[in-house]
Amino acid sequence: MSHQPVAIVGIGQTHHKRKRADVSMAGLVREAAQRALEDANMDWGDIDTVVLGKAPDFFEGVMKPEMYLADALGAVNKPMFRVHTAGSVGGSTGIVGSHLVSSGRHKRVLSVAFEKQSEGNAQFALGGGKGASIGAGGAFAPFIRSYIQRSGAPEDIGWMVAVKDRLNGAKNPYAHLKLADITIDKVKESPMMWDPLRFLESCPSSDGACAVIFTDEDGGKAASKPPAWVLATAMKSEPGWYSGRDPVNPQAAHACAQEIYKAVGITNPREQIDCAELYVPFSWYEPMWLEAHEIAAPGEGWKMTQSGATALDGDFPVNMSGGVLSSNPIGASGLLRFAEAALQVRGLAEDHQVGGANLAIAQAYGANAQFFAMWAVGSSLNPLG
Amino acid sequence: MADTVQEFVFNLTFPFTRTLGSTLSTFSSALAQGQIIGVRTGGRVIAPPLEYDPDTAADSGTDWVRVGPKGTVSTWTWVPEPTNLHPLDHAFGFAFITLDGADTPMLHLVDTGSESAMAAGMRVEAKLKAPADRVGRIDDIIAFVPAADPSPSEGAGEPFVAPEENDITEMDAYCDLQYVDNASPTTIMWAKALMEGRIIGQKCPQCDRTIVGPRGMCSVCAIELDESHIVEVPGRGVVSNFTIVTPTPYPGQTETEPFARCSILLDGADAVIAQQEILDVPVSEIRVGIHVEVVWAPENERSAADIDNRSRGSGGDIIVGWRTTGEPDEPAARYLDRMM
Amino acid sequence: MAPTENDIAIVGFAQLPPERRTNLTESDLVLRSTREVIAQVGIDKSEIGFTVSGSCDYLSGQGFSFVQNTDAYGMVPAINESHVEMDGAFAMYEAYVRLLQGDIDIAMAVGVGKNSNSDPSTLFTVEFDPYYLTPLGTDTWTLAALQARALIDSGKATERDFAEVVARNRANAKSNPFAQVKGDYSVDELLAADYVRNPLRRHDLPPTTDQAAAVILARGKRAYDLCERPAWITGIDHRIEAHLPTVRKDITTSVSTRLAAEAAGVGKGPIDVAEIHAPFSFQELILRESLGLDASTEVNPSGGALAAHSVMTVGLIRVGEAANQIIKNGKNRTLAHTTSGPCLQQNLVCVMEGDQ
Ligand SMILES: [Zn+2]
Repeated sequence: MSHQPVAIVGIGQTHHKRKRADVSMAGLVREAAQRALEDANMDWGDIDTVVLGKAPDFFEGVMKPEMYLADALGAVNKPMFRVHTAGSVGGSTGIVGSHLVSSGRHKRVLSVAFEKQSEGNAQFALGGGKGASIGAGGAFAPFIRSYIQRSGAPEDIGWMVAVKDRLNGAKNPYAHLKLADITIDKVKESPMMWDPLRFLESCPSSDGACAVIFTDEDGGKAASKPPAWVLATAMKSEPGWYSGRDPVNPQAAHACAQEIYKAVGITNPREQIDCAELYVPFSWYEPMWLEAHEIAAPGEGWKMTQSGATALDGDFPVNMSGGVLSSNPIGASGLLRFAEAALQVRGLAEDHQVGGANLAIAQAYGANAQFFAMWAVGSSLNPLG
Repeated sequence: MADTVQEFVFNLTFPFTRTLGSTLSTFSSALAQGQIIGVRTGGRVIAPPLEYDPDTAADSGTDWVRVGPKGTVSTWTWVPEPTNLHPLDHAFGFAFITLDGADTPMLHLVDTGSESAMAAGMRVEAKLKAPADRVGRIDDIIAFVPAADPSPSEGAGEPFVAPEENDITEMDAYCDLQYVDNASPTTIMWAKALMEGRIIGQKCPQCDRTIVGPRGMCSVCAIELDESHIVEVPGRGVVSNFTIVTPTPYPGQTETEPFARCSILLDGADAVIAQQEILDVPVSEIRVGIHVEVVWAPENERSAADIDNRSRGSGGDIIVGWRTTGEPDEPAARYLDRMM
Repeated sequence: MAPTENDIAIVGFAQLPPERRTNLTESDLVLRSTREVIAQVGIDKSEIGFTVSGSCDYLSGQGFSFVQNTDAYGMVPAINESHVEMDGAFAMYEAYVRLLQGDIDIAMAVGVGKNSNSDPSTLFTVEFDPYYLTPLGTDTWTLAALQARALIDSGKATERDFAEVVARNRANAKSNPFAQVKGDYSVDELLAADYVRNPLRRHDLPPTTDQAAAVILARGKRAYDLCERPAWITGIDHRIEAHLPTVRKDITTSVSTRLAAEAAGVGKGPIDVAEIHAPFSFQELILRESLGLDASTEVNPSGGALAAHSVMTVGLIRVGEAANQIIKNGKNRTLAHTTSGPCLQQNLVCVMEGDQ
C-alpha cells in the first residue's frame, strides 16, 4: 500500500554565517549532513538515496552542483536527485525526500539543501546577471505596502516581528544573526532599504546548509531519539503574474494550507497547531502568511503579532528558530523551517523549544510569492488524538 | 525587420570567490610553494586531494603525501582549437596523469607542441608558473611537458608536513560565458510596436484579461496569444504601487542612488505595466495615485537593442519613462491592490 | 494486466520538432508541448494532479528560467507543481513517485532545453569540479574523449566501431520525423573527418538542439481511460558515481548504469527496444554492455541522442519513444535510459511493458 508513515530521525544544520570562510561547498553540505547522521545514529553507508536542493546555480556559479557533490554526500552508487523550486526549494527538498519513503521506494533518505551565497552575489543572481536588480525586497515591497493599507496594521508590526525573530535567533546556536540587544528603536532607525522595508526588517545573506534524514515506520520506532512524524505535505503553485492577481493573498497559499489541514484533520489551526515556522524573509510576511494560511482571519494576522501570540512564549509561536530573518542561506532556508518544526515536535529545540509542541507546521515560498511548500509534523502519527 | 534586433548577445561574467576549506587550502598553499600533494585515504593516495573518500564519504584526514612533479600519462586527448576558457592559446593535450607517489590520476594539460607526441605511458613533468605568479590554484601548473629525465620524482610518496596555518584559503573563479539568444516573435512584436510609439497588450479570448508586454500566452488559461490578440493600450495611467530600491553594490550593478520602479494601471485597459520609472517626481515623493503618461524617445533616437526575451515589458531605450499629467491624484486605496 | 493502484503507466507523449535554433522561448516550447500531450490523451488540464518540469538555468543563461516556464501551465486555480534542475526524465521519476502517494491519478512531466543560447564547448566547464576542473577550462568534449581513448586502449572498441554507431543512428533517424541529424553515411566517409578531440570527430559529438517534450502518466485503471495500451513502468531506478572520472575505478564501463538496470529489472525478460541516451557515439557501446542488452534488442530506432540532443529534454524523449513502442508499435517490453554529468556519471533506467 502506498503512503506509508514517514519518520524524521536525523536533523543537522551548519552554523550559518555571512561567509563560511572555513569550508568549501562540499565542506558546508557535509557539516550539515554529518550532524544529521550523528543525530540519527547513522553512517553514510546507512543512507539509500540523497536529495539535494538549492536555489539558482548562479548563486555559486556552479551548474548542477549536485554532480560535483555526489561523492561528498555519500551518494556514490546510489540515486541522487536535485530539486529547484526557487525560494520554496528547501521545503520541496524535504517533501520530495519524504515521498521517497512514503512511496516505499527507499527506507532511509537524506535530504540536503544549501546555499553558499558568499561565493557570489545574490542581487546579481536575482537580477539575472544584470545591473539594476531590484532584488527580492524590491519585488515584495509593493505587496507589503498593499497589505499594510488593506489590513490597517500600525507601522510598528513589522518592527515587532523583526525584534521577535532576532531574539529567537539569539537563542539558536546555529543562527547567523544573534542580535540579543535588538530593540524596536533600532529597527525603526535602521536604513530604509525597499520602502517600507528597513534594513533590520530584511533577511541577511548567509552561507549555510541543512540536512534531514527520513525513514519508515519501523525505523522511526527504533530510533534512539524521539522521531518527528510527517503528517502531510503539499506543494502548490500559481502564476507569478496575471491581470488582477492578488500576490498579497495568493490563492496557492490558501490551497496549500487547506490541503495540509484537511489531511491532518485540523479544523482550527490557531488552536490545534502548537507552533509554526513560516518563511518570513521580510518582517511583514509574518502577518501576511498567518492570514493567507488561514491561521488568522483576513486583516487579523497583525493582531497576533501585536498581542505577542507569535512570540516564543505566546499561544501560537512563529519562527522559534529565528526564522529567515536570522539566517538566510536561500536554498536551505525552506528546509531549515521544515527541520525546526520537526525539532520542536521531537522536543529537541533546546533554548527555543516550545513546551509541549506536538503538532507543528512549516512553510516556504518562492519566486513572485507564487510557489508554496508546506508540511505538518507531529510527535506521534495522530497528535490530535 | 530592420528596426528590431533579432539576436542578443549576453555575457554572463562574474568574479566568484571560493573559500577552500582545510583540505583544498593545504593543497593550494603547498602548490603555491611549488609542492604538489595528495592525501592517503582508504588505502590509496588521491592527488589532488579530496576532503572525503569518494567511495565512502568518510573524511579523508590529513595524511598528506608529496606527489610528482613527474608522472605518467594514462589517457589523453588533443584540443586543436582552444576556447577562451582554456589556459593555453595554442593546441595542447588534456590527459589523465598519475603523479609519482599517487594512486589516482589527475586531469591536466599536456603541452607537447604536437598531437603526434602524445602517448599513453609517456613521462611528463609539471611546469609551474613563476613563484610570484602563483595563487595556489590548479592552473598554477601551466601544463605538464615531456619529462627531460623519465626517472622517478625525488621525494614522491614521502609524507608532507602541512604548516600550522595555510596561507591560501580562497580562490578566484571568474565566470565568463557568452549567450546568444534570438528575439521571439512576441518580443519582436512588442519591440516593433514600441518603435512605432505604441504600447500593446494581448487580450486573452478565453478570460478577457489583457497582458501588457511580450509574453505570448495567457498564464491563467495556458493558451498561446499571437498577433491576432493584440490590443493597443493607452500610454496613460495611474501609479498603483511602487518600490524604492537602495542599490547594493555588486559587479555589474549600474545604479548607485536609490531608484523607484512603479506599477502603472493603464487607463481603461484593466492592465498593469510594471517596473516603470517616473521622470519628474523625486524618488522621495513617489506615491500611489499619480496620473502619468508615457514619454517616448524622439523617433530618431529610439533603439530596440535592449528589448530581448527576458525584458518582459521593458521599454528599453524607446520608453524614456513616464511623467505626471498634472491631474489631481486618485485615492491611493482604489489602486494600491493593483500590483498586477 | 489488471493494474493495481501502484501500477503507473506512460499514457501520452508529445515532443516538438527539434531545431538547431528556435526563435521561441522556453516558455513557448513548454506551452506547445504540454498542450499537445494534454490534447492527445483527451483530458482537461484540471485533471492533472501533479506537474513537474526539468530545465536548467545555465543552459538558457537566465536565473529562475523555470519560473517563467510555469506560465504555460495555467495554474489558476493553484496546482501541485515542482521542478528539477535535471533532465525531464528525472521530472518523470518525481511524477512517478508522486503518483505512488496514492492521492492523485494523473501527472505530467516536462523537459525543456533551449540549448542554442549557449556554447557547449564552454558552457559545461561550470558543471565540473569547481576547484580542480573548471579553472582548466575542462570541457565536456575533452572528458568524453578521454573516456573514448580509455575504451580504445582497453581493446573493447575501435574508432570504426564509433563511426558504425553514428552511421546506424543517423540511418535510423531517417524514419523519425523528430530527428535533426539523419541520413546515409558510410563509415569510411565518417572516419575521414578531422578530430575535434582525438579520438572523437564532430559526428561522435551530440548535436545542439532546442526542444521540449512532455509525457502524461496515469495510475492504476485510470490509465485505460487515457490510452488503449498503456506503457506500464515495471522498473525504474537511477544511480550516480563519483564526480571525478579520475577517481572512478574503470571508466570503460558504467557501474551506475549496471546498478540502475539491475534495480529496474532489465534482465527479468527480453527487451524488444531500448532507447539509450548516449550523448557521444562510443558511450552507446559502454551503455549496451552495462545495461546487459544482447543482440536481440533493437537499439535507438529513433536515431537516439545523436539525432537530436536537447539537454534537459533528450532523456524524457527516450522515455517517450520507448513508451510509444508499446503504445503505438505493439512492442511488449522496452527500455529508456538517460545520462548526466561527465563520463556517464549519472544514469536512469526505466523499463516499460505493455499488456499482452
Ligand atoms: Zn486567459
